[in-house]
Amino acid sequence: MDNKPSVLVVEDDAGIGSFIETILVSNGYSVLRASGGRQALMMLTSHCPELMILDLGLPDLDGTRIIRSVRSWSKMPILVVSARAHEKDKVEALDLGADDYITKPFGSAELLARIRTALRHASGDTASGMPLSGVFRAGDLTVDYNKMHVYLAGEDVHLTRNEYKIVALLSRYAGRVLTYDHILKNVWGPVSSGDNQILRVNMANIRRKIEKNPADPQYIFTEMGVGYRMIEGD
Amino acid sequence: MKQRQKLHQIRGRLLFSWRDSAVTLGILLAAYGVCSLLRNLGESSSYASLLFLLAVFLVARYTEGYFYGIAASLVGVLAVNYVFIYPYYSFNFTLAGYPMTMLCMLAVSLTTSALITRIKQSDQLKLAAEKEKMRGNLLRAVSHDLRTPLTSILGATSAVAENDLTLTHEERVRLLRGAQDDIEWLIRMVENLLAVTRIDADSPAQVIKTPEAAEEIVSETVAKFKKRFPGFSVSVRVPDALLMIPMDAMLIEQVLINLMENVVLHGETADRVELTVSRSGKCAVFEVRDNGVGIPPDKLPKILEGSMISAEEKQGDSKRNMGIGLSVCNAIVRAHGGSMFAENAPEGGAVIGFRLAIQEGEDGQ
Repeated sequence: MDNKPSVLVVEDDAGIGSFIETILVSNGYSVLRASGGRQALMMLTSHCPELMILDLGLPDLDGTRIIRSVRSWSKMPILVVSARAHEKDKVEALDLGADDYITKPFGSAELLARIRTALRHASGDTASGMPLSGVFRAGDLTVDYNKMHVYLAGEDVHLTRNEYKIVALLSRYAGRVLTYDHILKNVWGPVSSGDNQILRVNMANIRRKIEKNPADPQYIFTEMGVGYRMIEGD
Repeated sequence: MKQRQKLHQIRGRLLFSWRDSAVTLGILLAAYGVCSLLRNLGESSSYASLLFLLAVFLVARYTEGYFYGIAASLVGVLAVNYVFIYPYYSFNFTLAGYPMTMLCMLAVSLTTSALITRIKQSDQLKLAAEKEKMRGNLLRAVSHDLRTPLTSILGATSAVAENDLTLTHEERVRLLRGAQDDIEWLIRMVENLLAVTRIDADSPAQVIKTPEAAEEIVSETVAKFKKRFPGFSVSVRVPDALLMIPMDAMLIEQVLINLMENVVLHGETADRVELTVSRSGKCAVFEVRDNGVGIPPDKLPKILEGSMISAEEKQGDSKRNMGIGLSVCNAIVRAHGGSMFAENAPEGGAVIGFRLAIQEGEDGQ
């Protein structure tokens, strides 16, 4: 056996499935294919792949059901593939525990980047329950979790408590998109209302403090209708 | 969908309506008031019938369907008889010509209602026909525009598939890159079409708006644009104060992308694009400015509206029509209750943009 990372591709369209397979194989992954949800669940338990690429629009099982069932026993990274204009599906999938999403139509570079990020997060296991300690660096931006401060090119950026919490959270999951709901719950607590207006206002303030041009950000990107994503750390 | 609407209309015509009842009552009371006034002034009661006839006409004109007109004519006939015809405050059906008055009022109400209903119907038909025509034009322009890239994709891919052994590596890559470009163009075309279906939904101005931060829309658009045209110089400016604008984010993003891509595809000499958002009163102004050749002056007045038709004028296959993108923009902005503008900057280059209302309640900030 070689130690190529194995990826399960769950996609009902044969054309898309085979193009994903070709890209992955030629980039050093071993690929398993499933064309439906039931088959996918069976292959997950028998082959234990390192990552799953899941199309949300499957004929037999709802994609969200697959995510739920996988999350009940595994933290394996799930990369969701969805059609454009279905923000709600994406958000639901992410809130259920999917790690990232990619929107059809997509190119090979984008797909490979998302897979690398997801696998790195899984191996580092930064995701769950670790205390916020150490330092995050991306370009001129430094987040110091011990001092609970953010620095830009060495200068202390004066963030409010909630602003710091948002930046720290995003940097913890750098490279991954976090939904509005996820951020709201983590910063304002579980009782926060579903209103993301307050988050928008905080984000506008953060951007004015850490970005040169808030309309052309370097560090925190907007995923319209879904949430925010921090650039990968160095 | 249409059937349900029709059903709804019919039901609306049969059911009791507070508005129409109020209108009917108001007009009849007004007629009664004027008649009483005239009688108190000592005028004879001969105006009464005519005034109530007018009232019946107005009721039929300003209410839906036949019911209120007929009701008004009955009430009118009885009221004139009871109040304004001697002996006052009692009915007298033996009066000469009385059946005639009654018939006249009924006829007036019926014909008016019928007329109004028919006028309303023909207005609706005209509107539907216009919409249908617009859709037809769009379809024609789109299918015309789709054929070119499809031909080149088919050509390139079949050249690669069938001449695998004779093609050099560079030739193969060049053909496939060309196909890729065409496909990207097709994807954006399909996104435009999707946008159109999203705003259509038979009732105009029914986009679902949620408050969005202007800078977030702009930054996402610019990021996408940079990814697609890495060599193009882009600058962005937003105001210092956060602008929240109610909108369908996906659609407005589509507008901005179309406007910026038009600069690349049609700006000819343009190599720089500037996207700015500013505030002007209760509006946010989005502007896309380039340093290209500008818009030909003869096309300037028509560029925003009738541009879809220009696909028919210009039969050349070489150049793709910018009309579809722009008319989609215009439709989206209008559905948001905003307005578009296009001009040539005095220092050269084109400026195309749009205004949207800022979220209410943010004004105080």
